[in-house]
Amino acid sequence: MTEAFDIDTSDLPELAFTVNGRLVTLRVPPVRRLSDVLREELGLTGTKVGCNAGDCGACTVRIDGRQICACLTPVGQAAGRAVESVEGLARDNRINRLQAAFHRFGAAQCGICTPGMLMAASDLLAHTSHPDRQQVEDALGGVLCRCTGYRKIVEAVLHTADPELEFLVPETGRAVGAPVAKTDGLAKLTGTERYGADSAPADALWLRAVRSPHGRARFRVGDLEALRRAWPGLAAVLTAAEVPVNGFGIYPDIKDQPALADGIVRYRGEAVLALVGDAETIETLPDDAVPIEWEPLPPIGFDQARAGGAPALHEAVPDNVLVRGRVVKGDVEQAFAGAAATAEIAVETSFVEHAYIEPEAGYARRVGDRIEVVACTQTPYMDRDEIAHVLGIPRDRVRIVPTAVGGGFGGKLDLSLQPLIAVAAWTLNRPVRCIYARPESMASTTKRHPAQIRARAAADAEGRLLGFDFAGDFNTGAYASWGPTVANRVPVHCTGPYHVPQVRALTRALYTNDPPAGAFRGFGVPQAAIAHEALMDDLAARLDIDPLEFRWINALRVGQPTATGQVLQASCGLAACLEALRPRWQTARAAAEAANRAGGIECRGVGVGCMWYGIGNTSLSNPSTMRVGLKPNGRITLYNGAVDIGQGSNTIMVQIAADALGVPMERFDLIMGDTDLTEDAGKTSASRQTFVSGKAAEQAGAALRAELLRRLNAGEDAELVLEQGRVQARDAAGARMLDLAALPVDERGDVLSATGSFDPPTTPLDADGQGVPYASYGFAAQMAEVAVDLELGTVKVLRIVAAHDVGRAINPIQVEGQIHGGVAQGLGLALMEEYVPGRTENLHDYLIPTFGDVPDIECILIEDREPLGPYGAKGIGEPALIPTAPAILNAIHHATGVRITHVPATPDRVLAALQAHGIAR
Amino acid sequence: MHNFEYHRPTSVADAVQSLKGAEDGKILAGGMTLIPTLKQRLAAPSDLIDLGAIAELKGIKDEGGMITIGAATPHAMVAESEVVRRVIPALADLAEGIGDPQVRNRGTIGGSIANSDPAADYPAALVGLDATVQTDRRRIKADDFFKGLFETALEEDEIVTAVSFPKPEKACYAKFPNPASRYAMVGVMVARAGGAVRVAVTGAGPCVFRLPEMEQALSGNFSPDAIKGIEISADGLNSDIHGSAAYRAHLVSVMARRAVTDCA
Repeated sequence: MTEAFDIDTSDLPELAFTVNGRLVTLRVPPVRRLSDVLREELGLTGTKVGCNAGDCGACTVRIDGRQICACLTPVGQAAGRAVESVEGLARDNRINRLQAAFHRFGAAQCGICTPGMLMAASDLLAHTSHPDRQQVEDALGGVLCRCTGYRKIVEAVLHTADPELEFLVPETGRAVGAPVAKTDGLAKLTGTERYGADSAPADALWLRAVRSPHGRARFRVGDLEALRRAWPGLAAVLTAAEVPVNGFGIYPDIKDQPALADGIVRYRGEAVLALVGDAETIETLPDDAVPIEWEPLPPIGFDQARAGGAPALHEAVPDNVLVRGRVVKGDVEQAFAGAAATAEIAVETSFVEHAYIEPEAGYARRVGDRIEVVACTQTPYMDRDEIAHVLGIPRDRVRIVPTAVGGGFGGKLDLSLQPLIAVAAWTLNRPVRCIYARPESMASTTKRHPAQIRARAAADAEGRLLGFDFAGDFNTGAYASWGPTVANRVPVHCTGPYHVPQVRALTRALYTNDPPAGAFRGFGVPQAAIAHEALMDDLAARLDIDPLEFRWINALRVGQPTATGQVLQASCGLAACLEALRPRWQTARAAAEAANRAGGIECRGVGVGCMWYGIGNTSLSNPSTMRVGLKPNGRITLYNGAVDIGQGSNTIMVQIAADALGVPMERFDLIMGDTDLTEDAGKTSASRQTFVSGKAAEQAGAALRAELLRRLNAGEDAELVLEQGRVQARDAAGARMLDLAALPVDERGDVLSATGSFDPPTTPLDADGQGVPYASYGFAAQMAEVAVDLELGTVKVLRIVAAHDVGRAINPIQVEGQIHGGVAQGLGLALMEEYVPGRTENLHDYLIPTFGDVPDIECILIEDREPLGPYGAKGIGEPALIPTAPAILNAIHHATGVRITHVPATPDRVLAALQAHGIAR
Repeated sequence: MHNFEYHRPTSVADAVQSLKGAEDGKILAGGMTLIPTLKQRLAAPSDLIDLGAIAELKGIKDEGGMITIGAATPHAMVAESEVVRRVIPALADLAEGIGDPQVRNRGTIGGSIANSDPAADYPAALVGLDATVQTDRRRIKADDFFKGLFETALEEDEIVTAVSFPKPEKACYAKFPNPASRYAMVGVMVARAGGAVRVAVTGAGPCVFRLPEMEQALSGNFSPDAIKGIEISADGLNSDIHGSAAYRAHLVSVMARRAVTDCA
């Protein structure tokens, strides 16, 4: 947001400095942040603002060659100096070598940190042309990335001086499987990509929410007219009364979250009022000037909600149990009665924050009797329906235009600022924009569910699993959000990817006065995996079987039933993943044990973690439709309703559609997510876009090809050549021509178009959770090597080997990128991430992995084709994260003999556990 | 509302005049702390005095075994200084470990010590190395400079101009950094000079402090074993989500031993 100062600019001294070699003279307050001046005064929005506190480094620019945080630099201190931003890297429309290396090596995912990374790297490369890895990590260490796990960024910088930095251009029909660079990569590398905060109508008003400082309180709003009089720059102060239908929520039948709280707040950070007005007023009006009378009440915590008898958060749910999940197969007690070995565990996990580097941002405007919302989101079509619901208008009067998304990970699957700006723009008939501040983003948006899990498992003497008994409570916070999804997904997955004859899995999602827990990469499965993977190690130890071999014995295989009784028919690659790890495992375990025999304060360990993950929604229809259209100029448009949040669907979908159509990728233009222009491709969640929307893209491409071949009277193997104004088909019979100028154009400007749709076949689950919840599952096994410092309790992850059955890697470089990023987040879950309301609402108290935390990651791609998926592909986004924390925790156990059951395993917790076992130094 | 008078003096004397003339003046050095503070409205000064244009405040001098660092010298310049690296390598190492490159390129030694953040690195260097702070009007021994949480011996209108470090025989700094900010959760500077040993701890308490018991033990036997048995009390130590007071007390012992080990 523009910082406003009560200074008449005509009195200001003129500041002069150069920006990317161009002299700039300005009259602005000298203490205004350089980041604001670059973005707002000079229109150079390539410099990003992620935290405005010097923590994230997204705003990194160079002054006189040195990297600095523009958000902490008063513009007065730039006077007379040379400022360089990302926009200055490319010359004459040619990207420089560093940008080319980023493009080639897949170093940008969502791209929000990319400008900062590039500027930090530019500083390094200016004085060290051939840096080593440590120098790269040190130089770039002040910039945070949440997508990539940093490894490909380091790789790109190390390869900047390579003589060859060619980009792969796949031959026609060879796009699938090729490591092509991102179709939207250049925009991210040059600073031209537009994220939520990067554009708005010039006449837009600003909106800021006033939020609850209390976890639970009643409140009364005082005299707002007096506030309006005192602050003439206010255009409106919105309260619950101004919201037409004041309830939203992702489930059609659970609209329990108000856009603005109505007399009672249920979590710290909940929006109570919305201030709308000019930039200066909205920036400077302090919260304590707003007349709100609070009556704080004792908040209901997780333990209290679990115990029962607490006051109800929501009238309709007297026991605070939002939902129960249940999967029961056979008689689990009988399994334990006859077991050769049993093991049990209690696991506790914490709130985890998505910590995407782009805070929520966007604008809304009223266009006649329609509302348009332009904002970062993972789910334009659900946003459309939710905004229609809140405004009380039909959904065809709502248009959602997603901006580029600077990271999501599930956190942008719920409405955040959208209902506020929509209501404001709708009632004021003025464009209204909003950018969440970092603390606001962290306090108010959803988190990963904290879990309290008890689980036990039984096996026979040969190491075959007999039974699995699981009870998990999930803290769903103040509102439902995706709580039901978590409570229903976990019981299906909680045995792990193993064949278990007798299963009992019971879950609850409980309301508390904590932030709403929602969707976060894995929907509760990562928490459950910590439990099942500890049990696998413990059973293996009791039976004196190698932990990896124990898992291999029990790995789900084609023809075996899951806990829900689903018999898997294909693409079941866990055993293959374990086999790929086996030689590395044996070497690493032996090396660690040998190293430990020497003693010392550092102990080495190697652990394994496995996972499976159902792709798409649990027993719910989740269709996707894609459209490809042919313009008279011979170019193809992919009308792509799937939002790319950095994971790469803008590239994957083009690869698939191009091969299905039989034309090169570069013939394609892309429209992403605009609900007026695309078809509904569903949400970017549940690792579903490659599998579901990818299949739709394949079918759309194939349908358009079939139509062209029909019109050209050509055979199926004909080569299609798109040219200006015409299409040629060439086959053994010769060449035929279709004149596109002669065809009528439709409302999209296409002469021909075709759609494809796919909805993965599932069945409802019965009362015991039996049925077919997912059409396909991803499988993985990861191995972690760690070093534990017995004096400090610190855990250093030395290496990860990640073997993933992805069906088919449509784009191997992107699959690796997903694995790297998932591993980094899994490492954070295991070792450092814990969101505490009111205490970690920033990126220096809330810890996410940085360059030095993420080790080398070896990716092994197992391609056990999924017959339902596009070219055999299934999902990877969430599977990448799930096995990492279990592997690390198992490695700590291998190193020390101590099992950490409360994550994150922070140094003080690990040291306390080591001390309790008498092995701390 | 923000409504500051902004000053950009070119001499220390002018800066002091501006500060004296202000109702509530604040000094802007690298801005690492002040800018976020202004944003959060934790400070609303009448005047900002930007030291960035005062050339005499920047630079490093070797004055016969004594290193003098100008107050507005950024951490990166200290970290990269060949003189500092040669004369007091522990000081170069400490500067190299402050924050991230962006902080080191902007943050200054004068700004750091005048702020007296409990988790800042430099206070351990000043106290551990027995440095002297020079201001526009006097010289203050490091032992007398740091008074408490964000509190120093500086008068309201007093400006730090330089810090002088005598060359130690041996010195090492061992830090357990906050994983995000690289601030010291605990940082220990151990230095031996003229037969005496100093052990200065930052990050653990409200303000940098010395450990006389360890100093005495190390004076007799400069080895990690000499201090192994010394218990550090958790009373009064910082406690936060990154580490309890007890954990910090433990870290003080470990980091002190590691600093001594590194000296060998």
